[in-house]
Amino acid sequence: MAIVRNVMANIMSEPKIALVGNPNVGKSVIFGFMTGRYVTVSNYPGTTVEVSRGRAQIAGQDVEIVDTPGINTLVPMSEDERATRNILLNEKFDAVLQVCDAKNLRRGLLITLQLIEMGVPVLLDLNMEDEVTSRGISIDKVKLAALLKIKVKGSTAIQKRGLSDIQKEILTVQPSEYRFSYSQPIEQAIATLTELLPTTFIAKRSIALMLLAGDRSLTTWLHQYIPDEKIKQIDDVCHQVARQFVEGLSYVIYRQRSRYVEEICHGVITQEKRQEMGWAVWLGKWSTHPIGGVFMLLAVLLILYEFVGVFGAGTAVGWLENGVFNGWLNPLAIRGFAKLFYFSPFMRDIFVGPYGIITMGLTYSLAIILPIVVTFFIAFSIMEDSGYLPRLAIMMNRIFKWMGLNGKAVVPMVLGLGCDTMATMTARIMDTRKERIILTLLLALGIPCSAQLGIILGMLSALPAWMTLLWLGVVTGVLFLVGSLASMVVPGHSSDFIMEIPPIRRPMLLNIMTKTMARLEWYLKEVVPLFVIGTLALFFLDRLGVLPVIRNFAHPFVTGFLGLPDQATDAFLIGFLRRDYGATHFFDMFNKGQMDSIQAIVSLIVMTLFVPCLANALMIVKERGMAVMVAIVGFIYPFAFLVGGIVNWTLRL
Amino acid sequence: MKSSSTCGQEVRAHELDELLERVWTLREQGKNEVTDLLSITPIEDGKLWLQQLQTLGLVTLLQNTVKMTKEGEREAEQILRRHRLAERLFADVFLTSEEVWEREACELEHQSVLTEEAVSAVCAFLGHPPTCPHGRPIPRGACCSHFQKEIKPFVIPLTEAALADHYQIVFMTPKSHAPLDRLATLGIHPGGEIRVTQRRPSFVVRVGETDVALDKSLAQDIFVKQIS
Ligand SMILES: Nc1nc2c(ncn2[C@@H]2O[C@H](COP(=O)(O)OP(=O)(O)OP(=O)(O)O)[C@@H](O)[C@H]2O)c(=O)[nH]1
Ligand SMILES: [Mg+2]
Ligand SMILES: [Zn+2]
Repeated sequence: MAIVRNVMANIMSEPKIALVGNPNVGKSVIFGFMTGRYVTVSNYPGTTVEVSRGRAQIAGQDVEIVDTPGINTLVPMSEDERATRNILLNEKFDAVLQVCDAKNLRRGLLITLQLIEMGVPVLLDLNMEDEVTSRGISIDKVKLAALLKIKVKGSTAIQKRGLSDIQKEILTVQPSEYRFSYSQPIEQAIATLTELLPTTFIAKRSIALMLLAGDRSLTTWLHQYIPDEKIKQIDDVCHQVARQFVEGLSYVIYRQRSRYVEEICHGVITQEKRQEMGWAVWLGKWSTHPIGGVFMLLAVLLILYEFVGVFGAGTAVGWLENGVFNGWLNPLAIRGFAKLFYFSPFMRDIFVGPYGIITMGLTYSLAIILPIVVTFFIAFSIMEDSGYLPRLAIMMNRIFKWMGLNGKAVVPMVLGLGCDTMATMTARIMDTRKERIILTLLLALGIPCSAQLGIILGMLSALPAWMTLLWLGVVTGVLFLVGSLASMVVPGHSSDFIMEIPPIRRPMLLNIMTKTMARLEWYLKEVVPLFVIGTLALFFLDRLGVLPVIRNFAHPFVTGFLGLPDQATDAFLIGFLRRDYGATHFFDMFNKGQMDSIQAIVSLIVMTLFVPCLANALMIVKERGMAVMVAIVGFIYPFAFLVGGIVNWTLRL
Repeated sequence: MKSSSTCGQEVRAHELDELLERVWTLREQGKNEVTDLLSITPIEDGKLWLQQLQTLGLVTLLQNTVKMTKEGEREAEQILRRHRLAERLFADVFLTSEEVWEREACELEHQSVLTEEAVSAVCAFLGHPPTCPHGRPIPRGACCSHFQKEIKPFVIPLTEAALADHYQIVFMTPKSHAPLDRLATLGIHPGGEIRVTQRRPSFVVRVGETDVALDKSLAQDIFVKQIS
């Protein structure tokens, strides 16, 4: 009993630290340093969209560290920002480590002031000191610390500089004594509101200000503490104050706060004029040039095609599949299992038959898909870390407006090429529900994920060039068509395009490698078992005689309408599990000469547009709800076949 | 009580303008009580002046409430327009302290001081601003609807700013609050410095060390003046 209580006490008293700050300032790098746990680090705002937790050893004790999505203010405007605000409201932290991009100190201080208002102990870390120095900015940290009455440290997270010092001091911080006030009507409202608010570990003043700023989502939180009539009173006060200003109250509060920020910055920042130059600026400029940017995009696509399609899906797969697996491993396995299970052909076939775990499941996942995803992940990480993605958003904004989205949606769309499931979660960065639903639909409909894309590229490289253009044309055409139709059908409104563009940075080898390894680990853990399960399912369907029945049933669609061979039905069946698995089956059939080029292109198009994989479907349920998932899948399933059929009939005219 | 006459023109006493202005601003706050009105005006004999307004047919008094007539409303609108444009002029162009521009605006709000024509010129020069420095709306004039090109505006929408030149934001007028908040948290707010680095395919601006891409329609709602 005593021991249990002790353990409990220990858990209860384990210190907890939150990493908070503007987007893309290095929070996740620091989280990785402290906890040794890798969370994705990329060079664009909105990489982290949900809270991650890890553990660190600080001064000999276990400490829980929490990484949060980036925010620009504690009054949230999108779902990822809300996650950060909520965790600060609902969990008590012994310290908040605010990471700030030192070259954008003003924007960081706006958050610092809000954290001070909350009454939490803050340590301000001015990160990116390398970039600050190279831009000729210097910041007087001692003076800043004295003004704000908090600890201020500096760091260059990617070089691990300054981080251990921060780690050493983080648990010694105290709430700041710094106080600042707003204009009279606001102060008066704060006074009234604090009377009505419950006591929590967040200062009432801060909650009052969030309420005044019009944060409706706070009401649900308040419900657990105070009765309805008090909430009604609070609402009345807020409305009454709001009526006294023409501008939104959140804006008024912001303006008054930023006046303090200006005052503080005045004697703290010194900047010498410097001409910015160098390859990064040059590259950044051309990548968003109205014409140059198009060429840059084409160059990027060409490199991706050469590296992933030709090298990964061609050379590397050829070597692994034909050389290692079919040339050596599979014959060996077939002989071995034939000996081992000489008494039972059934058992033998589970492993090495036409639907064998080794000859199909593992060969597909390890010999065909693995080299493709490795090359893809490497190319993709370089793109993420360079800062190219947000620039693509500048290029594509107009086009995306047609689909009821804006340029910001480019980032999740491109992420979808890595993994649609992750990208579906990143839809949180969009401002409105309508945008999130359209984005989720388009991801599920027409964005092939890494493995599938690699296989498509591999197959396309063996087909005539015009077919590549046809595939691209049909898929993008469908995306636009469905997107623009959806923007008319889905209720709600779209938001304006406002996006922060980070500087072009040199991708770091270590981060590329770590990220690729992390994704590979995910692939091996999550995808390979699914491939094995899918193979087993096919095996039993075949043995139970169900497969021929299904093939018969599907014959009019698959052979009649789409003009594909009967075995293609198998690919669609496993495609329900994962689209890339289905695509791999086509790839295999094509390589074995079971499909001509028209059949190949039709199968590619249908599989690209095919239903989202199981994991993605579950993510859609989690993020957007069951109804949305059912609607999306119900639409996509017949639609993919329809488009494939049209292509088939057109080509055969 | 007197009506002064200058340049041979009948001119209403400044006290009446002052009072009419208060009736308007009170209404902006959703109030119309005489007691409220009298408590905020510094004018002596407020009650008597108010009755004068009624005699002139500019307001109607009913028990404790005051309401502008059509005529009074038109008059008040012009007063407010002059007052708030003057505030902008002294705040944005002459960069005087708040104390100064508030005082000057009170002097300039009368028709006897600033004629209709002069008001239009100031309005065009300032880029037809929709709000005063306090953020209250400036009543629109005839000049605001058809865009006049004769006077080279001092304040221009960001879409007309030259690439790479330094500008200061004077005011922002998005149609809703949401983009205003978002822009503000990225450092785009009145008083701040801004530079356009690219116009197509999307607008890209630089504030401090932050680059922000935005819709052209939003850039149109950001009004700036050049920094010498
Ligand atoms: N030059 C430089 N770059 C840095 C430094 N710290 C982080 N970065 C880079 O900044 C980018 C963003 O880092 P992240 O750790 O993903 O930022 P984050 O704050 O977690 O971002 P969100 O999750 O989007 O809020 C990455 O490309 C990092 O390599 C630094 O000290 N100097
Ligand atoms: Mg992060
Ligand atoms: Zn005008």
